[in-house]
Amino acid sequence: MNRQQGEQPVLISLPPAMATSSQFTRQLGCIRPLMKPQLFIQPQISRRSITSAFTPKPEPVPFPTTIPEQFLSQIPDRFRPHAPKKLKIYPPPPSAHAKCKDPIATVTESQLAVLDPTGERRALFDYRRSARSVKVGDILRVTFKNGDPFSGVCLSIKLRGIDTSFLLRNELTRVGVEMSVKAFSPNVESVEIVKRTEKRKRRARLYYMRKPKHDMRSVENIVSNYLRQKSALTGQRSANRKKR
Amino acid sequence: MPPRLSGSLIQLPFSLGAVNPQYILPATNSIRTFGIRSLNPPKPSRFNVSPNLPVLKSTPTAALERKAATLPLRTGVIAIKKGMSAIFDPETGKRIPCTVLQLDRVQVVAHKTRDVHGYYAVQVGSGWKHPKNVTKALLGHYSGQGVSPKRHVYEFRVKDESGLVPVGKLLNANWFQEGQYVDARSNSKGKGFAGVMKRHGFGGQDRSHGVSLTHRSLGSAGPSQGGGSRVYPGKKMAGNMGNEQNTVQNLKVLKVDVENGLVLVNGSVSGPRGCVIRIQDAIKKPWPTFAETTEATETST
Repeated sequence: MNRQQGEQPVLISLPPAMATSSQFTRQLGCIRPLMKPQLFIQPQISRRSITSAFTPKPEPVPFPTTIPEQFLSQIPDRFRPHAPKKLKIYPPPPSAHAKCKDPIATVTESQLAVLDPTGERRALFDYRRSARSVKVGDILRVTFKNGDPFSGVCLSIKLRGIDTSFLLRNELTRVGVEMSVKAFSPNVESVEIVKRTEKRKRRARLYYMRKPKHDMRSVENIVSNYLRQKSALTGQRSANRKKR
Repeated sequence: MPPRLSGSLIQLPFSLGAVNPQYILPATNSIRTFGIRSLNPPKPSRFNVSPNLPVLKSTPTAALERKAATLPLRTGVIAIKKGMSAIFDPETGKRIPCTVLQLDRVQVVAHKTRDVHGYYAVQVGSGWKHPKNVTKALLGHYSGQGVSPKRHVYEFRVKDESGLVPVGKLLNANWFQEGQYVDARSNSKGKGFAGVMKRHGFGGQDRSHGVSLTHRSLGSAGPSQGGGSRVYPGKKMAGNMGNEQNTVQNLKVLKVDVENGLVLVNGSVSGPRGCVIRIQDAIKKPWPTFAETTEATETST
């Protein structure tokens, strides 16, 4: 490259003695780039000298205070003479939810006030709170409003508020019979405990008693015994009624 | 030559004062028109216009007329499902299962009218939302109507403007009467991505007889070349089940408790506990006579 650049001016200036003068012209060729016009003018430096002159930051032009109203919508909120209109937030009305947090309990209470005003039935089945309540394994006798009784051993008590129910198991005509009774149903006239369980049962649901090994079979004997004793204690009248 | 105004269209000078030039010029078009005017002005409507034409079936008027029989007269309310319980009838001893719904600060938020929106409806809101969590646009809507920000907002269509309850009015539980029938509309419980057996009740495939790994999947998705070698649109397949709107119609209102905002309806309604239920007068029963109810609401508010 260098060589070619060096030879070019020789071709123009000294065409006849090309080969002999190559050494000499090559040396001259070294200074040739210095003779380029750009180097002498140095435009970069001159331009820089102009821009680097200190110019003070222009004073901010104050925002015009009086703007015709039709232009106000075009400028940002913060430049408008009046602050943006504040929204009026209305307070909420009184809350029914705050008043009645547990509506199911409210409904249950209002129902129980009608169905069980004395709270007797509630205490009879709330085995978690009242000690004298029915326990699983007890033998119960239920009398319904239409007159027919049902007795059996209590297999389970489901505490479900108004839908509280218990499951009785007995044997009628040598066939096992179970009946689930809603404790607060208006059809249930009375629930009596015929016989308490001898030992506290260690299960909440005595479904194992359906198996032949554990089946209690009929509880009619125990119930009739209880009725006889009861009639002896209370008097002849009720006994007469039972015999009929 | 520059265009000239015709004599009748020259505007009068404003020195006449407050008198509107329209009143002075007898029934002239006040729009200034320049240039060439058509000798045959275009007809106002390109359709056949005359007084005794039948109402077209595809117009909004016809649509409203068709809907008139099934649109309730009164707005509905937004309630929250609180759970299920039962009521014992003291006389018969019958147990009636019921769903407990609670109305919490149910208020009329806005109206939709025939003139502006094309139909009549009442926008009802319930609950309360902290203004911090409400967008500015919605806040403006609430504050413009003079109501507090609402948690739930729904629209209830009504037949005509007589059903538009004034904005801001509280709708209490006595909006419904005991013994009347309502429709309950809500989203059902979501079941997630369910297979065809659960979602559409398909029979599934055999336990054995050479079936492997596809005991609960659907069989064929469609016919072969004779049927176009494609799956027809609407083919029942596995997918998301539940969490879609469901309406339970003709639920009897068993009990109304204004103080606690409770409405007890017979039977069950769709959705989990705590979901939003919209109840409105049943469209398949005669509309209830509610003259007393509206009075009662007015006195209580």
